[in-house]
Parts: sequence; structure tokens; C-alpha cells
Amino acid sequence: MIRFVIRRILFLFPVIIGATLLVYFILDLAPGDAVFALGGDQMSEEELIALRHELGLDRPFIIRYLSYMQGLFTGDLGVSLISGRSVLETYFQRLPMTLRLAFSATMVSVLLSLPLGIYSAVRKGSIQDNIAMLFSMLGLSMPNFWFGLILIIVFSLHLGWFPSSGYTGPISLVLPAFAVGTGLTANLTRMTRSSMLDVLGQDYLRTVRAKGVSERAVVNRHALKNALIPIITIIGTQLSIALGGSILTESVFAIPGVGRLMMDSINQRDAPMILGCVVLTTILTSIILLVVDLLYAMVDPRIKSQYVRRGKTS
Amino acid sequence: MSEKVLSIENLVVHYELEAETVHAVNGISLSIGKEETLGLVGETGAGKTTAALSIMRLIQSPPGAIKSGAVVLNGRDVTGLPIRRMEAIRGKEVAMIFQDPMTSLDPVFTVGDQIAESIALHEKLSKADAMKRAEEILELVGIPRSRALEYPHQFSGGMKQRVVIAIALSCNPSLLIADEPTTALDVTIQAQVLELMKELKNKYQTAMLMITHDLGVVSEICDNVAVMYAGRIVEVGSAKDIFLHTAHPYTEGLFNSLPNINARVESLKPIPGLMPNPAELPPGCAFAPRCSYAGERCHTSKPVPRELESGHIVECLAYDDPSFQIVRRWGNG
Repeated sequence: MIRFVIRRILFLFPVIIGATLLVYFILDLAPGDAVFALGGDQMSEEELIALRHELGLDRPFIIRYLSYMQGLFTGDLGVSLISGRSVLETYFQRLPMTLRLAFSATMVSVLLSLPLGIYSAVRKGSIQDNIAMLFSMLGLSMPNFWFGLILIIVFSLHLGWFPSSGYTGPISLVLPAFAVGTGLTANLTRMTRSSMLDVLGQDYLRTVRAKGVSERAVVNRHALKNALIPIITIIGTQLSIALGGSILTESVFAIPGVGRLMMDSINQRDAPMILGCVVLTTILTSIILLVVDLLYAMVDPRIKSQYVRRGKTS
Repeated sequence: MSEKVLSIENLVVHYELEAETVHAVNGISLSIGKEETLGLVGETGAGKTTAALSIMRLIQSPPGAIKSGAVVLNGRDVTGLPIRRMEAIRGKEVAMIFQDPMTSLDPVFTVGDQIAESIALHEKLSKADAMKRAEEILELVGIPRSRALEYPHQFSGGMKQRVVIAIALSCNPSLLIADEPTTALDVTIQAQVLELMKELKNKYQTAMLMITHDLGVVSEICDNVAVMYAGRIVEVGSAKDIFLHTAHPYTEGLFNSLPNINARVESLKPIPGLMPNPAELPPGCAFAPRCSYAGERCHTSKPVPRELESGHIVECLAYDDPSFQIVRRWGNG
């Protein structure tokens, strides 16, 4: 088990190299650079060249990339070309906001999806099932930011229950969490339903029923635990996407999270900042996926025995 | 007659699908006394499993429904019981062993947990005490108690079936339904499992309904035999009646289709044709289209049960002629 975790962490390195190389390359191809964003039209050609030299932007691509990677593996993500502040510091300043939004949106989605999906599966084909599926279809087709705007109009403008933008405390997260969470709910409900339907048809539930276990316990204890793997997978994926920051939702609700930071950096061609966001988000995502894999082993003993057998330790 | 653990009276079970109604069980009656073993024999699709699941009230509903009849278990009809009462009976008074041990255990719980669940539920024991009992029962079916903490995927098919048997017997039920418990097992394991069931049945004085299509199993373990065909019981009697004084042409066909040990070069004689579609049963005797004795009347009117000797009942119109005798090919089975 420990060997499995270590292997997964080592696997992070090629992933980071691949991700940074790709982003570095794309940034290099994109027209314009940070010097334009900084100096704009006021600087002369000579001043621009001097500034580029000062920032090290005139060196060849491969040299710049290698020196960046050297810094990366010693924990130095560089400084923003625009603000001059440490990338790491800026990122971790913005991260808590995105974490809060990501976790509360996932919470909303899990709390809505699991009961809805289980209910739909148990009452497959009923009117309730059809209504639930209709709503999850709606949730899936509505863009988050549009739904966010609707929420603002109804709950902030008309009812005045929640603030429309900015962050003034947990209450500010309610609307964005619902805006993002609803989209996730749609997907998760469908996955819960289909996974539960699959399990509800299994023979072993008949054995459980034959023992005299109540239908409620059959569904909530036995069926749900067996149906959990695909559900955990979806939750994990959703959470890791949400941790990258929702650019549109953060913009709509004016939440200063990672998504906004990323978008501002892209607009300003702030390469170290963009790269820093990519690298840190990649690491965060990998951690989430590792946790998901470890959860699999907790839920399903067959998967656990695979990890243990391959790793030869427990 | 001894006290009956189970008596089924005129049970009718249909599966009502959108396009058609499947007449799975069409008025069967049978009874099992204390400590008695009844073999329910028939081809795949004869309605044996549906009949068994109806006793437990476990048929999938919809589309399945008990249309009429009674299932009297320890003196009370369970067909109309509220589901809560039924849950208290399942596992406690009547338990079931299923056909395929590979799929009948929950893969994400330890076998100990799965046995203890039933005990904790019915015996009102604490989790720890139930687990202790579960380990004892596990030992009883020939599995070391240390393996109670293992999961089903760590067991072989035969071992899993032992676990299923342990679950079924954990609360000492008065009736055990075994739905082809050895069909999915290797031949060498089959004998072991059968022997174990026989032993435990005697030890706990449990009545048993043994569903099988294997006449060898029947001769091994059953006191009485009921032969089922297309949702009807066509012949019922003591094992001796069925094996030595076979009366129904279908039962005869079953015996004839076994390999003949006295004439090893002879080819097998299967019953010609297939069982009728239970959604479109013929108007007369359901076996008539495949029966070599069938007369004209067999295709138009339904046979009624007729008692040949005490307890030996056959459902065949041919016995209207008192001189009728079927031809058994001896040496089979």
C-alpha cells in the first residue's frame, strides 16, 4: 500500500514535466509578451529590448524552459513579471477562496445527487424518476455562469437574500456554490442512478433480502456500497476540475480565486504566473486522484488486495 | 401425517409483462413435513425457482405477482403478510441457498459480517456476539474461523457455497430452500457440499425443499419428489414411488434421458421437442406435444391430479384407462 502511494507520487514528475512543457511551448507561440503588457506603447524599441533582456525573455526557448524547471524542482516558481511578487505566494493567497468554492460546490452536488440518484434507481420508470432525470438534463445543459446570473437576479437583486458579488464571508459562497454545484449534480445524479441500477439487479442482493434485511438497508447499506466506485470517480474528477478554479463563475460572482488569477495572468502574458498556476493545479489534481484511488481500496476489498499484491507490502 | 412446515395450496404466479403474461406457476400444491426433504425436479424454465422465490416472497414485483393460492409456513399464510412481517420470517423461519455461489455473496463485506448480519437481525444479539456465532457456524460448515474476516473473492466456489449455507442455517430455520445448490460447482465439490447439507439438515432437523434437475441429487437426499413441468406439478410421491413406480410420461422421459449404465454404447434418448412457451401454454396437457402416449384428448382438455396409491399423485389423462402402463427403460440413473 505504501509502495503504491510512493509510486503514484513519483509518477507525478513526468506529468508535471509534460504539463509545463506544453504550456511553456504554447505561451511561446502566442503573439505578444509580458513586456508589451508592462510597457505598452510608451516604451521605445530599445527600452523594450532592454527590458526583455532584463527579464531573460530574449534567451532561447530551451534555455528558458530548463532554467524554469531547475527553479521548479528547487521549489522556486519565480516571480510574477507584472507585479514582481512571488508566484507561490500569490497562488496560495488565492487558493483558499477556490478551495472553499470547490468544496462547497461539491458538497451541494453530493448532498443533492446521492439521494436523488438512489431514489430514481429504486423507483426506476416512475414519474418521480422521470422528473428527476428531466431536471438533471436541465442542469447538464445550463451553462454554470448563466445559471449563476439567474441566481443573482432572483436571490440578490429581487429577494436580496445573498450578496451578488465579492467575498464578505461564507454567505457569499452560497450562490456560486449552487451555480457550480447544480451542473455537477446533473452528472453525479445520473451516474449514481445508473450505478445503483446496475447493482440493484445483482444476485447478492437477493441473498441479502433472503436474510430478512429490510429493503431500506438493502439499498442504503449493501447496494450503495457496491455502487460507490463510479460515484467516487465522478466526485473526484469534479473536485479536481473545480480546484483549477472556475474562471467564468469566479468572474460572474467577482470571487478572487485561482480561476481569476489564471485569467488575469493570461491577459497580461505573465508566463511565470500562468505556469505556476498550471503546475500547482496539476499537483493538487494528482493528490485528489490519489485520494480517490485510496478510497477505492477502502470501498472495495478486491481493489485493495490488488494494490497490496502488486506492492508486496500492506 | 406429521405436522407440516410448509404447505402450498394452488399457487399461481404470473409475470405480467407489457407484451405478454408469463404463466410461470399454474396452480401447484405441495407440502413438506418436519425434517422432511422434498425434491422439486424439472427442466430449466419449469417454474421451480419462481415457486421457491414465492415462498420467500422474493419474486421481482413488478412484473411478478402471486395471483392466487396460499403459502402456509408453520401454520400461517404468508402471501398476504405485510412486508415488515415477511422480513422477520425470512432468514429466521425460512432460508434459501442460491444456485450460483460466485454471485450470491456481497463482494464488499467480509463473510463473517454477512453471516453475522442475519444473526444480529433475528436473534437480537450485539454485533460482537453475532460475529462470535458467525465464526462458530463458519467452523461448522468446514471453514476455519480465522477466515471470517476475509472477503468473498478470497474463497473458491465450493467454499463460497459453504458460506452461503452458513448464512442460511445461521438462525436455525425450520425450512431450508436450496435452489440447485450444486449446479454451479465442480463435480468433486458437488458431492462434498451435498454431504454437508445432508449432515447439517439432520443435525438441525430442518425441513428442506431441494430444487434440482439432477436426479442423482434427488436419490441421494430426498424423501419425497415433486416433478414440475410448465408450471404444474405433474407427479408427486415418495422417492421410491417416483424412482421405482414412475407414472408420468414426463418423469419417464427424464429417466430415459439419463445415460444407461447397462448399455453404454446406446445413445442418449432425450425428450423430443422443447417445453412450451409459458406465455402461450397449449389448451390441453402442456406435455402433450412431446408425449409419445398422447391421445387426441390430451391436446384439448387439461388433466387433473389423480392419486394412484396413497401419496403418489399423477396428473395425466392416460390413467383414465385403468390398464395404462408406461414403459421404463431400466438401468438408468
